[in-house]
Amino acid sequence: MPHSNDEDLALSRRAAGGDGAAFAMLVEKYERPLRSFLARSIGADHADDIAQEAFVKAWRAAGQYDGRARYSTWLTRIAWRCRLDALRKERRAEDAASEAAHAPPTGEVEDMLSRLSHSERPALVLCEGHGWTHPEAAELLSMPLGTLKSTVARAKAKCRAMWEGAEHG
Amino acid sequence: MADRFDDFLGAALAPAERLGDRKFVARVQAAIVLEKRLAAQRRSLITDLVQQLVAVAAVGIALWWVGRAEAVASRFAQSPALGLAILLTGFALLVALMSSRRPVATAGRH
Repeated sequence: MPHSNDEDLALSRRAAGGDGAAFAMLVEKYERPLRSFLARSIGADHADDIAQEAFVKAWRAAGQYDGRARYSTWLTRIAWRCRLDALRKERRAEDAASEAAHAPPTGEVEDMLSRLSHSERPALVLCEGHGWTHPEAAELLSMPLGTLKSTVARAKAKCRAMWEGAEHG
Repeated sequence: MADRFDDFLGAALAPAERLGDRKFVARVQAAIVLEKRLAAQRRSLITDLVQQLVAVAAVGIALWWVGRAEAVASRFAQSPALGLAILLTGFALLVALMSSRRPVATAGRH
């Protein structure tokens, strides 16, 4: 178990015992990366609601965190399940890619992400922006490792094309 | 070009450097307090429901036992309408008694 997980494990155990201050420390430590990932992957409109729901579920399940994975990985998994549940409830497939595809690329990262598919976006954000390993991201996104790698490569190639196009266009 | 793009992408996708968002932390804490309160209310509802079911069962068994007594059984056999009236009155009293209990909504408040 990496040393960095020990502190989070201790805080999580204290939270499981009803220590609200310990859980507040975990929220303060991990809200920034989680909300950033969600905002990039699913849009800023829903990111905070999903993040809040994920933290409440993490608080409820605090006793189940065993420190084997990084706390951020465990938390992001919970958030991603919340996201999938919300999607299932809404029965509203996200298709921002086709909406944005008509306007010329601007070279801004938000614009680039909006042109990626719903599976490319989180894969790229996690692996290129948040330092997740390919196996970690593949597990989170329920993808075979090979598919995840090709998804990241394809997303990156698309972004590169848009970036170069915007720079020279 | 490749290096510049990689640098750009890595920096653009990384979580922004900023201090913790106290407002968001407070929002999560408020949601947790609400969750605790709702859980307490759920527990209280279940306890009340079980108590009421036990009470109804006890009253039913008591009525059945009293009804088995020879004097009562013969009286009911002679006048079933009286028996039915007594049963309905007893049931109405039981419902009134149950509904006069404390409201469940305030049960979980600390």
